[in-house]
Amino acid sequence: MAERVFITGVGMITAIGDDVAGNLHSLRSQHSGLGYTEYIDTIYRQVLPVAEVKHPSESLFALAGVPVKDGYTRTTLLGLIAMQEALQNAGIEGVQSAPTGFINASTVGGMCDTEKVYFDIIDPGKNGTFLQYIDTLDCADCTQRIADIVGFSEHIATISTACSSSANALMFGARMIRQGMLPRMVCGGTEALTRFTLNGFNSLKNVDKQFCRPFDQQRTGLNLGEGAAYLVLESESFAKANNSRILAELSGYCNTNEAFHPTSPSPDGDGAYEAMKTALAMSGRSLEQVEYINVHGTATLNNDVSEGKALERLFGDKVPLFSSTKPFTGHTLAAAGAIEAIYSILAIQHGLIFPNLNFSEKMEELSITPVTQLLEGYPVNNVISNSFGFGGNNASLVISKYEG
Amino acid sequence: MKGKCYIQGTAAISPQPTFEGDIFQAPLVHTDSNLLACIEPDYKPFIPGNSLRRMTRTLKMGLTAALKCIQDSGISTPGPIITGTGKGSLQDTEKFIKEIVEYKETALNPTPFIQSTYNSVNGLIALQQKCTAYNNTFVHRGFSFENALLDSIMMIQEGASHTLTGAFEEITKEHFYIKSRIGCWKSAPVNSQEVYQHLSPGTIAGEGAAFFTLTGAATPESYAAISGFRMLYKPSEEKLATALRNFSEGADLIICGRNGDSNHEHYYDVLDACFPGVPQLPFKHLCGEYDTAGAFGLWLGAQILKAQQLPASWFPMQDQLTAPVHSILFYNHFFGEQHVMLQLERV
Repeated sequence: MAERVFITGVGMITAIGDDVAGNLHSLRSQHSGLGYTEYIDTIYRQVLPVAEVKHPSESLFALAGVPVKDGYTRTTLLGLIAMQEALQNAGIEGVQSAPTGFINASTVGGMCDTEKVYFDIIDPGKNGTFLQYIDTLDCADCTQRIADIVGFSEHIATISTACSSSANALMFGARMIRQGMLPRMVCGGTEALTRFTLNGFNSLKNVDKQFCRPFDQQRTGLNLGEGAAYLVLESESFAKANNSRILAELSGYCNTNEAFHPTSPSPDGDGAYEAMKTALAMSGRSLEQVEYINVHGTATLNNDVSEGKALERLFGDKVPLFSSTKPFTGHTLAAAGAIEAIYSILAIQHGLIFPNLNFSEKMEELSITPVTQLLEGYPVNNVISNSFGFGGNNASLVISKYEG
Repeated sequence: MKGKCYIQGTAAISPQPTFEGDIFQAPLVHTDSNLLACIEPDYKPFIPGNSLRRMTRTLKMGLTAALKCIQDSGISTPGPIITGTGKGSLQDTEKFIKEIVEYKETALNPTPFIQSTYNSVNGLIALQQKCTAYNNTFVHRGFSFENALLDSIMMIQEGASHTLTGAFEEITKEHFYIKSRIGCWKSAPVNSQEVYQHLSPGTIAGEGAAFFTLTGAATPESYAAISGFRMLYKPSEEKLATALRNFSEGADLIICGRNGDSNHEHYYDVLDACFPGVPQLPFKHLCGEYDTAGAFGLWLGAQILKAQQLPASWFPMQDQLTAPVHSILFYNHFFGEQHVMLQLERV
């Protein structure tokens, strides 16, 4: 019997807060992080809303506690800030205190900074400190810079499965624990806004010019966001021996592929259905025991139909309360799974159901609607958190209240 | 690592004629350009023409190697698909970066953006195979393929009967230039056959795609067993030496990632000191250096263990095998940062 996996520390930074407490405060006060970019050089600056972390990169160095230095991308800095909070929250003074692995997630690595100097990098006539950004072109750069500062040396990996990346990082870390490979893992993802990604999604006509409206009949697309989030996972035996403070249990998870289309989900949500169903079965919880679903809910035309259909197929006429928190944070791509896993823990800890902002009209394809008002004092024991991505990569996590 | 897994099928597209024909009779392909480029196969038997036109090089190489591997394994039931790539489709990334500027962010073709996504090859394989099982992509330099391998081994431990596990990488002219600016490649052209004799800063670039069908049970057709596996991140020489000694005893043959780069040669000196007298086959003169070159090394080891012979033209420096090879130690590192050890056994 494989060991249970507990969450013993969380850390994050998003457009709605520089730490977990800041995020919780914004969620409670229904304060969205959507606005217009201060830091990306794009013709869409005043046109396409984004949820940007409200600090220039120079200020992020201070928040991350490292001296200003070339070669540290915004992706790395956001990750480092979230990482340090997660370790502190778990009471870890040095990661060398016990064998600890690090599983990171990223979709475009340091593109946020390399896209600014790329044409200098490929120009033989130009020379300068920008050459220090060459290594930041890939996804491993941010992982290794964070690992080197914090001191991870046991096992490191970076996952990239588009929008489900950090959900898969959590899953991979949990599996390593259950296989007895390491007793403690830190898993999550980091994502900085880039002109590259903004234009990518815009070229797919998937970006809303208004603030995104998940599960609304009038929705026309997503808004991008940025941020980072990490969760400390520990095996049950390690957590008990270490006297760790247990925040929640990662009780189930599933990764499936839809094998339907490179960028679109199947209309009936086959992948979403399978991911949720299998993750819930693994958790040993019944359909009735799920009080809240933090949906992927990107507000693209296809995602919300597909995910909504999957909810109706799985839960019938008893679909639990659900909401998308993307109108708060934007779609943070590789970081989304980990950010929303932390929101799921906050829902359990504080008895909260977060509202799905900007909703006004039920979708004609569905009979269900998301929660639109903040609910406080609502007992939440089990949450499903969904992350679905390009390439048909679907992931669902089940996060449960810790009970002895 | 608990238990063993077995290589039931494999396929490789590389700078050598590895995709078709008898590799034990194959000539050695070499270059003086410091860049070993893949011999690309005819993709048409594997990919329909209309899809082929849209796909860039990495996608074609990755998908085709995967499909050939499935054929070779004789296992057509879809299972977990797990890959590693350090850089994904560079050609698409470069194209989209440039088109954003060229077209001033308007009326952009989304195809290069979609194909630049690191998991696009995995998605294509799943789509082609109608495979809804577990699907994951690792993107961590010299640990990309190796984490895919670890994930696959865990999948088999968890009860999967088999996995499709692979890696793919391309080197573009532009990326070759970019990496030259931070000293990755030798400053003067060298003959790739003689790369080990030219010990100087930097190495030669390469690329390739290699896939494996891994199973939990052996069959008479199995190529090899993977019986040991360890990754080390930025180890000291002492830590590496201890790890190597504890890892392997009694290997008949060593396959190593030596590449003529004087900046990081000292790790291979540690290997020499740990296992004096064990014959070594370096493989980077065949495939060049790249994030997922380890997958090529594993492919080579599997071929040698099954056939019990060496591709003679590729290893003129090494006598032919005189005794059976039962056990191979594989050791590789990527620019001194990600170190990998594998133990392979004859089935």
